[in-house]
Amino acid sequence: FDRDGARYNFISVLISTTTIIIMRLLTHNTLRNNSNDAKGEGFPLGITATEVRVDEPYIMDDDHGKEEQQRNISFVKGLLNMLDWSALVKAASEMGLNALPSKLTEDLVKDEDFLRALFHVLMNVHLVRGILTCPRTGREFLVLDGIPNMILKEDECENARM
Amino acid sequence: NAELESVLDLFGIKLSSPDCQILTLPTSTERARPFLVLSFPHNLKGKRFRLQDGKCDDQSQDQDQIPFSNIISRCILVRSVIELWGVGKTLSDCVACSKKWNESSIGKEIFEKNSGIDKSWKITIHTLGTKYTRLEQDNMRLRFRFFDFKGQVKMEDPTNEFIMIREAEIDVLGNVVHPQQDCNKKIIQENVARPPIGVYFGRILGQGRLVKGRGAMEQYSLKRRAYLGPTSMDAELSFIMTNFGQVEKGKCVIDPFVGTGSILLSCAIRGAYCSGTDIDIRVLRGRSEHENIRSNFLQFGLPRPELVRSDNAIYHRHYQRSEVPLYDAIVTDPPYGIRAGARKTGSKLETPKPVVEELRHNHIAQTKPYSVADVMADLLDMAARTLVMGGRLVYVIPSFSINFSIEDDLPQHTCLELIHCCYQSFTSELGRRIVTMKKVGDYEETHQEEYLSAVWKNGAESAEKCANIRDKLLEAAKKKPGYQQKAAIRKEKRRKSREAKKLSKRKFATLDQKG
Repeated sequence: FDRDGARYNFISVLISTTTIIIMRLLTHNTLRNNSNDAKGEGFPLGITATEVRVDEPYIMDDDHGKEEQQRNISFVKGLLNMLDWSALVKAASEMGLNALPSKLTEDLVKDEDFLRALFHVLMNVHLVRGILTCPRTGREFLVLDGIPNMILKEDECENARM
Repeated sequence: NAELESVLDLFGIKLSSPDCQILTLPTSTERARPFLVLSFPHNLKGKRFRLQDGKCDDQSQDQDQIPFSNIISRCILVRSVIELWGVGKTLSDCVACSKKWNESSIGKEIFEKNSGIDKSWKITIHTLGTKYTRLEQDNMRLRFRFFDFKGQVKMEDPTNEFIMIREAEIDVLGNVVHPQQDCNKKIIQENVARPPIGVYFGRILGQGRLVKGRGAMEQYSLKRRAYLGPTSMDAELSFIMTNFGQVEKGKCVIDPFVGTGSILLSCAIRGAYCSGTDIDIRVLRGRSEHENIRSNFLQFGLPRPELVRSDNAIYHRHYQRSEVPLYDAIVTDPPYGIRAGARKTGSKLETPKPVVEELRHNHIAQTKPYSVADVMADLLDMAARTLVMGGRLVYVIPSFSINFSIEDDLPQHTCLELIHCCYQSFTSELGRRIVTMKKVGDYEETHQEEYLSAVWKNGAESAEKCANIRDKLLEAAKKKPGYQQKAAIRKEKRRKSREAKKLSKRKFATLDQKG
């Protein structure tokens, strides 16, 4: 779908039969550009999404499915400490999802429906093709076939190792 | 025992504690024995596990408790779990012990539960290294006739399978130790020459002697994988590594040298959320749409792993700082330059030329050799940084069997504690070590240089023991007698096959032309 006035056009494919590899929003939340030039501000990486893919959550209503749901909820709860919330909200909107609340409140943390939806956002929304950009230096990292390429050029490497 | 210890620890059971004691086996010998007798307190209320399998008809035991056999079935190296009813050095001793047990209060209680009229049963005789006729086996069974089972004997799939094991002494390779001739040079009959050092009688827990488990393992065999590489880890060892790493449902695992993803697949089968990084984009992408890491996971209906192309030598350059740990376990097989070269990004030049702006996107950076010493140092540092407290690092490293000290020659890190180091031998000299470490200290960013310089206790000397194995093997092979001749024969063979290929290609070409 197209959004009027939006800078990005993207395609959302629900179910595909080819085996495409992906990058999740959870991973994006952990990626940084920690180079000397970025001066500690190499986060969050801006997303230019060329191709996004959203997997349908496979929910089963039986006992096994309910157990799986509970596990997903506790997994998400465990992640909350680690996530940078504002970065996640920004990234999600860059991928086309604007429904995330801008602040994570106590009530939301306790709401199971919210946590279930959050799991979906973190784990089922995939960036298949695009560019990740450092907000400070503008250094671009390509994402091809769902695999972000964080490999540095030779001249950048020498300063990276201590 | 290391695998068993890690798995029991995962469920809160400490081996060799009062809650789980190791009892000595009958007849002390110097050799390692294939049996382990564990003793648990009779009342398991409040614990995470129970001994009964399946649905519990007994109120004294919790429905939420996991059957012990389920816990043990995780262990690849455990063949079966038996609830021990009697033990002794000889059959008579075992029978006497079982009789006594049957008269004790605990024994009576357990016997009651398992001998009802609705519970079919059978007794299997398992003799280590000796063969007995049907008649001899039946005589052994009859010795246990004082057990008054009310149910019917059923040979296929009974409710309870009982087993009597006659243990003879075996050596480290699993062969029976026995003298063939006595002092008068007379040949001794085999069964007499292999006296029992232990006889055990008990009830098998779980689904029988985990032969079914073995069958289940078959489906994960590398033979059935869609995507393989020369260094794909075999399924058995990957599962053992997941046990060392205490990987279970809901945990986050990363493999920083993921390759074809065989280890990651085992972690996903255990139910963990998996990610993998690698510097080689070709291996991450796979050979085609249907032959890549993702298709291996699809084969087993598992969710896709997260894959990132990055260089582990500069992990800290691209990931979240260490204040918030990310992973519960790191399970990996680092490259050490034997079958797959270890590389990191960088140029051989001191000051490489910067790439022109227009070409940056398509420029593929050079890689340079990555020494084993650095691979291990970076791996340990990255583990110390990203593991949660108590999280585990499991890796494999090739090394020689002799002249290797665990305390001095394994890489070390202030934040990590060594838990296990297990040796698997390939030849009499060469093998590999599977090392398990646990994070016990917080990572301090400011100490990074200190951490890295302290990785090899004896400096370059220790690193050398794990490095350049390929060259060392080649050198050793060259010194062996007959090497020159064998090398010449191999060369001749290769030349002949190359020529044969060329000839057949030419034949096809001419056929095509005619066709």
